[in-house]
Amino acid sequence: MAILTRRSVVRGSLGLIAAGTFARPFIANAAATTAEVWFAQGFVPEEDAAFKTMAAAYEKASGNKIDYSLIPFAALRQKAISAITSGVVPDMIELADFQLGPLQAWDDKLTDVSDVVEPVKSQYVQGALPCTYLYNSVTKKRGYCAIPMKIAAVPFHIWKSLVEKGGGKIADLPKTWDAFMDFFKPVQKGLRAAGMRNVYGMGYQLTATGVDPINTFNAWMIAYGGQGLITPDGKLHSDDPHIKEAVIKTIVNLSTAFKDGYVPPGCVNWNDADDNNAFHSKLMVMDFDGTISTEVALYHEKEKYDDILTHGLPLSNEGKELPSQVNLFGPVIPKGAKNVAVAKEFGKYMIQPKVLNEYLKAGLGRWALPIPEIVKSDPFWLKEDPHRTAYTTQSVLAPTMPIYEAYNPAIAQVGAENAFMSAVIAVMKDGAKPEAEADKALKRAETIFAKYPIASS
Amino acid sequence: MTTASAIDIGGPAIARDSLWRTLRGSLKSSEYVWALAFLVPYIAVFFVFVVYPAGYGMWLGSKPSLYLDLLSDPIYQSTIVNTVLFLGIAVNLKMFCALLLSGFFMRPGWWVKGMLMIFVLPWAVPALPEFISIHWMLNGEWGLLNNVFYALFNVDGPSWLNERWLALGSAMYAHIWKNLPFWTIILLAGRMSIPTEIRDAAKVDGATGIRSFLYISFPLLANLYLICTLLSTIFTLGDFNSVTFISGGGPANSTHVLATLGIRDAFDLANPRLGVAAVMSALPVMIPLVIILMRKLKTAEVQL
Amino acid sequence: MTVTIAQGRPASAKALPAERMRRAARRRYYLTETAALTFSFFLMIWTLTPLYNMVMVSLESHGDVFTDAIWPPDPSVASFWVVISEGYWYLEYFWHQFGNSLYAGFMVTFFTLLIGSLASFSIGRMRIRHGWLISNAALLTYVIPASFLAIPFYRIMQSYGLNNNLWSVISAQVTFATPYAIFIFSQYSRGIPLELDESARIDGASPIQIYYRIYLPLMVPALVAIGTYALLLSWNEYLYQFLLLSNKQSMTVPVALAQFLNSDEAPWNYMMATAIVYAIPPAAVYYIFRNRMVGGLTAGGVKG
Repeated sequence: MAILTRRSVVRGSLGLIAAGTFARPFIANAAATTAEVWFAQGFVPEEDAAFKTMAAAYEKASGNKIDYSLIPFAALRQKAISAITSGVVPDMIELADFQLGPLQAWDDKLTDVSDVVEPVKSQYVQGALPCTYLYNSVTKKRGYCAIPMKIAAVPFHIWKSLVEKGGGKIADLPKTWDAFMDFFKPVQKGLRAAGMRNVYGMGYQLTATGVDPINTFNAWMIAYGGQGLITPDGKLHSDDPHIKEAVIKTIVNLSTAFKDGYVPPGCVNWNDADDNNAFHSKLMVMDFDGTISTEVALYHEKEKYDDILTHGLPLSNEGKELPSQVNLFGPVIPKGAKNVAVAKEFGKYMIQPKVLNEYLKAGLGRWALPIPEIVKSDPFWLKEDPHRTAYTTQSVLAPTMPIYEAYNPAIAQVGAENAFMSAVIAVMKDGAKPEAEADKALKRAETIFAKYPIASS
Repeated sequence: MTTASAIDIGGPAIARDSLWRTLRGSLKSSEYVWALAFLVPYIAVFFVFVVYPAGYGMWLGSKPSLYLDLLSDPIYQSTIVNTVLFLGIAVNLKMFCALLLSGFFMRPGWWVKGMLMIFVLPWAVPALPEFISIHWMLNGEWGLLNNVFYALFNVDGPSWLNERWLALGSAMYAHIWKNLPFWTIILLAGRMSIPTEIRDAAKVDGATGIRSFLYISFPLLANLYLICTLLSTIFTLGDFNSVTFISGGGPANSTHVLATLGIRDAFDLANPRLGVAAVMSALPVMIPLVIILMRKLKTAEVQL
Repeated sequence: MTVTIAQGRPASAKALPAERMRRAARRRYYLTETAALTFSFFLMIWTLTPLYNMVMVSLESHGDVFTDAIWPPDPSVASFWVVISEGYWYLEYFWHQFGNSLYAGFMVTFFTLLIGSLASFSIGRMRIRHGWLISNAALLTYVIPASFLAIPFYRIMQSYGLNNNLWSVISAQVTFATPYAIFIFSQYSRGIPLELDESARIDGASPIQIYYRIYLPLMVPALVAIGTYALLLSWNEYLYQFLLLSNKQSMTVPVALAQFLNSDEAPWNYMMATAIVYAIPPAAVYYIFRNRMVGGLTAGGVKG
């Protein structure tokens, strides 16, 4: 730095005051530096535009440059793994999937960002916060490894017109789990009788790849009382008879619906886009799929957009409210990043409630805002659009719990192998016995969990 | 020529000279420098882009415990079965059809030439959209194929991608569809290089049609056919587009082959080392294949 | 058409034997031609069905893609207009990306031909000692599946600072095209007598002059064949472009196409229209050079 003259001191303090008036946690950088940022490409152009605006605003306010790439989701995952494996990493990567974050945190590949998150953690949905509070097997401690920005839940999507056409009434939608699912069976019969050759009552991913089948299996299992499969301390409770029973019930319910012909046969091989394609082409009346991207994709087709009902989780069969499993996620800063300071600063900028709110709103609300206070006060979230209302309520205001991966990354591998859904498929297609398959899946889980010992603190 | 005493004096220099001479063989010194210079670009490419990455890759896959993990993966065994079936059936069916088609395209006539041009389209058009098109075409509910069946015969076609063997067959179909033109052209070129005198002489002797094929064409093509089969096996082992875009490895991970298993382990399980190990586990089969191929190429005066 | 030469026969045959044989020959001719035509018909269906599906999707409007239609219910070329006018956000930089693909394709072609021909000249014509080591080692490139090399390549390109740079992809593709090029060039040049080189050398030509004045002109058919092959390889390639290029300015068209797969709901008709526009250059190149393709793959050349 140059010698401290009076002028430089004055200039410096003026700069700090200017920065202070933004009330933002900035370092007035004398030398503006660049941070390399990878974010997931949005599913609609508005999401990308929103990010560009936010990055530009940050650049203007701080004087630093953000060199960003908006990369399609699947490619981003592959590049993230390649980068972290090879050691040549950008400064910030948005990890939008379930597994990468916990697994990389376990291997000590992520920079701890507690200094970014701790000061503001009370602003968030408390039930979901553990999603970013991940365990590091090297330091044997948990810490905040991702900067939470977006929250996702899994709602039901229902075609109102198809229900009516099949002789049902939306107002009659049952409140409890099994009754809710059974509602769609006579609707399918009615639609077939009315001449629709290719239509099914229910649709969900019964594949063995991707995260959607994990969501499906978990939701059903939690509905049947299997919530405690993994407890917050990271322990697997595979020998608990209640859990076993829940797993068996899930396998039976999902496979029976398929065998009885209420689910499109193609669902065993759907990829990420196939279930949305199927739903949009009215192949099924109901779809269970994460976020409201299903609806948002039809945003510009008003009639269809209004025809879809977004519905949260029904009550359990005993009438209890069920927690929705949510994924609260955001960008991570990999270890070995060259410009950690600017990355953290950008992170701090983005999670300011006002900034985050504007960003997510511009993205058509596909990701919900994880800040309950603003959700309740800004009419965008709960007043303007019935889909958004239902979705935001489910993911932010109703009871929530984090995805299991936050508790223990071992379940990430179990999920990646889709051990549980493979059990369902085995019962569905190979005629295996549910109890035997449940045992097999739980055993596989145990084997994998053995490789991820978490020290109890 | 050197004398005894000169040898004593010039020992080391002569030793150096002989080494230089052995290296350059029959080439003059200056020419040898040129020959080396011509070879340097490829050697550089080879070292920088093959040796180094392959070495790094093998280092990634060198932990023995990875192979134990691989064996304990529930889908590894079915993957091996799929790979063997894929190689055995798809490659041989493809080469056999290529052989027959190359005979067909030898026929005279302008319309045969026109056919050849259309026939090559699958190879010339990029793979990604083609395979996605096939994936849609085979969809059980709204795919083109089942729509046609329904329109023509009023039956619902099977769900092509939802049963393990149908899905694997579909992936093989896509692979054959895409690659058949390439090998057909190679075998066609081979046939066309059989000198016409031989064929005419055979015709005079009364060997036509099938006889001509069995006794004239096939023996001359046999070596080429074998080399093409070996090469195709090696390429197919690494072919990951077919399975990925047609069946995605499903249903329930039952149609994976080693190439796709490697990618799945590396990127879906976020375990790149396991992915590398999966691919390396094919080496015990690959290396003998390549050795046989290299020996065949060295000895044969092959028309390719 | 087969012609059999009749041998001497007793004159006590019933109808004129020549007449009967001619009729039989004609019948055989019509039968085989009909069989050939029928076969061609099925071959066309085999070849064109997936491509038809592509065209059909590109002509349909978005909502019609997943119905049970066999023919586009409301065909329109609107999708093509969207592609050409870059009217959709995934296609924002379509022409720029198309240009990237063209640039990469031509660079890959140029360098494959250059490096491959130099290397095969050195090994095959100048017969450098132990040259066979290089050509065999080159084939080892194919033993290693592309999926294996993906992550090491990524690392290397990052450390060379070639991140998001077309040259990373060009290098990768040249690496995979050159061994086959060397192989074909060696085979083809066996048909060119070495005496030509010898006499040029005696006349005082330097190796580079022999390469330029004698070797290259005689190798033109093989050069064209391999050039087409290299261009198609680059155009068809997906994995490396996908992994190494990530921003819209540096992407090539296959990567842009993959964006459509990212979305939960994409306008598939635009995707297929993009794919068709993208498929035109390689199909055109193949069409123009098709005769040379087959000729260049034979070791016809000059008969010694």
